[in-house]
Amino acid sequence: MNILIVEDEARIAKRIERMTRTIFGSALQSITLSSSFQEALHYIENNVLDFVLLDLNLNGENGFDLLTTSVSKSFHTIIISANKDQAITAFEYGVLDFVPKPFNQERLEQAFNRATTKETSEGHELKLLAIKKRGRVQLVPIEELLYIKGAGTYTELFLKNGTKELHDKSLEKLEQLLSRTFIRIHKSYLVKISEVKEIIVKSGSKYWAELKNGELIPIGRTKYKILKERWL
Amino acid sequence: MNLRFLLFFLLMLMLEPVYAQDPVFKIHSVKYKIGDQADWSAKALNDAHWIRKAPKIQDNQILWYRYSIDILKAPESLRQYGIQLEAYGEYEIFWDGIMIGKNGNPGQEGEMPSEGELWTTFSIPNHLSNSGNHVLALRASLHYFPDHTRIDDLEIDYYDDLLTRGSVKNAYMHIFAGAFLITSLYFFFLFLSNKKAYSTLVFSICCFLVFALTLTVYSKGYIPMHYSLHVIRLQIISTFLLGISFLIPFYFSMQFPYPRQKIALFIYGVILLSIFFLNHHAFDFKAFNMVVSMWFFSFGIVLYGGYKKIKGARLVLLTLLLSLGVYFATSFSISLYVGLGLILLGMLYLLSINIKEQRLAYENSLVQSSRLRLELLKKNIQPHFLMNTLTSLIDWIEEAPKKGVLFIEALAKEFDLINQMENKTLVPISQEIELCRTHLEIMKYRKEINYSWIEEGIDFEQKIPPAVLHTLLENGITHSLPLADNSIKFKLLFESKSDYNYYTFLTIATTVKDTTNRIEEGTGLKYIKARLTESYQTKWDFSSEPTRNGWKNVIKIYS
Repeated sequence: MNILIVEDEARIAKRIERMTRTIFGSALQSITLSSSFQEALHYIENNVLDFVLLDLNLNGENGFDLLTTSVSKSFHTIIISANKDQAITAFEYGVLDFVPKPFNQERLEQAFNRATTKETSEGHELKLLAIKKRGRVQLVPIEELLYIKGAGTYTELFLKNGTKELHDKSLEKLEQLLSRTFIRIHKSYLVKISEVKEIIVKSGSKYWAELKNGELIPIGRTKYKILKERWL
Repeated sequence: MNLRFLLFFLLMLMLEPVYAQDPVFKIHSVKYKIGDQADWSAKALNDAHWIRKAPKIQDNQILWYRYSIDILKAPESLRQYGIQLEAYGEYEIFWDGIMIGKNGNPGQEGEMPSEGELWTTFSIPNHLSNSGNHVLALRASLHYFPDHTRIDDLEIDYYDDLLTRGSVKNAYMHIFAGAFLITSLYFFFLFLSNKKAYSTLVFSICCFLVFALTLTVYSKGYIPMHYSLHVIRLQIISTFLLGISFLIPFYFSMQFPYPRQKIALFIYGVILLSIFFLNHHAFDFKAFNMVVSMWFFSFGIVLYGGYKKIKGARLVLLTLLLSLGVYFATSFSISLYVGLGLILLGMLYLLSINIKEQRLAYENSLVQSSRLRLELLKKNIQPHFLMNTLTSLIDWIEEAPKKGVLFIEALAKEFDLINQMENKTLVPISQEIELCRTHLEIMKYRKEINYSWIEEGIDFEQKIPPAVLHTLLENGITHSLPLADNSIKFKLLFESKSDYNYYTFLTIATTVKDTTNRIEEGTGLKYIKARLTESYQTKWDFSSEPTRNGWKNVIKIYS
């Protein structure tokens, strides 16, 4: 585990660090503290990470710039903030969890667990996916998205307008963020439920999902039941 | 209130000439002769050789007037004609050779005390008031003004009408005057409760002068006066008019400011005074010229106000034009009161606009003050401060309970200090400094940075709006990173100059990059400026700028 903590309150940063060390124990490889957005951005761009724990208000500045960059990366972002009113926006951007201050170890652990267990971010709707395009971060609205295909450590986003975008997060991580409206129908496919028009059964008990635009996407043998349940 | 009365009487005044009836008499000729003979009153006297121009007479000489008058219409049955005079002198009055009255002691004025009145009414015997030619003769002496041989006013009508007509008009004019008296008193008391509102005082004086003028002019019906005192009365009236003529444009100058106001008012004052003093006895001429000057000057000022789009100028311009219209439609004496009434209404309207604006400004300041109070209270409960503090506090309690207790104590002290300041607009500087030191104490526990506080030259007699330095301190903490030795220093300097005091607040730290090009003004700076305005209006200056080793804020307070 490689973790970055972005927090300008020394005491709180130390608290997060201490608790994180306790939670992950020997699984933790590195933990870094940063007290400014510039420094954190630089670190994110140049290091491989598993989690970023981010306070959105540092030195009187607003951290949404850093947030959009952070959520476009392969790792999960967890917000730890005093301003609860930022929670909805943060979730819309695709953070794994929003931990309001003051917090304790249990709450922090719960946030980390969202990534490691199948627990989904219920009640919070992701509205935007940040993607990196020509070196800049762009926000793609979720309603533009049809399905996602896993491609190794990254994913391909298939959009309604026929284009394809790349995302740094793995299919597993996106599944954790998108579980309210999307369903994993195959080990390589995550599909928006509302886009599925029909389930087609072909010879050799192969199942296909037909989308509203006519595309066919394979359904994994084990996934068929779950899809049928949720789709109906 | 009295506004409706005013309008009603203005209307009455304007209508007066409309309902006046046709005269029942016509004067053919007036002839004069110095000397004294008993038969000069006779109707049949041949006065062909009498002079037609009023002569100047010597002291105690007797002058005879003979008026040839046509009665156009005989009186209705049971009613009697009368004759009303406004004439200088003491006299006996004859109608067709019969003495119908006596006003004083003609020819004996020097020896006997003053008797008789300036305004008199006599009845004409019924058998002598048939339609046709009649002779009115006056045997008069003019001890006090021998060069004023004239009858200013002569009126023949029904005797009882002559007596009552005056009182009815007087009654109206007294109510008119009363309205101005009440208005004057009301605005005078208003001025007493707010001594800075000079326009209220000027308006009050104007109303009082109009009241006094009206009362002086229209008291002639019931205050008997000897003709020798008439000049004094006219002088009093002229003085009131002088005051009114100066104060009305002066009032408009206050409401509609224009360049070189003092010079213009001075020149106008000189013009008025020269009109007042130069023509010693031409009272009508004086009155007319003063009022006309007043009208033109006022019109100019209000026109300028209208051009500058000052609120209310248009309506006042309308009242001025209306008064001009009244002047052309009626006579000077009527348009004077109607016009003054209209102009004063315009002034009242301006005043009501002023009062409304003052009220709005006051309400605004109340809202602003309570907003500032709220903002002060919010400092300690806004989530960024409160939740970060509580998180750190929990951590201290879990990890080092004794230090945690000290932290709680510092927090309690800051809360207490803020509570003490909550309803104040100015607090002692010592209290403000204590608040800053306590805040640093809290922030030390949170940020684990070595904050230090230095003050120099503080005058502990001084006061400052609450949490102003505290806000600067907060900004300093938020926007700075510690120096290499993990320290941030804050320095407060006070200096007193001849016309201002100033505080310099320095943050010595590494400034966060990128903050220099952010022009947007934060809520903190807005709070500081609003607090300074609340306590010092415009007499302050505030600047905030980065320096090589941190940040510099300067608050100047002018005395």
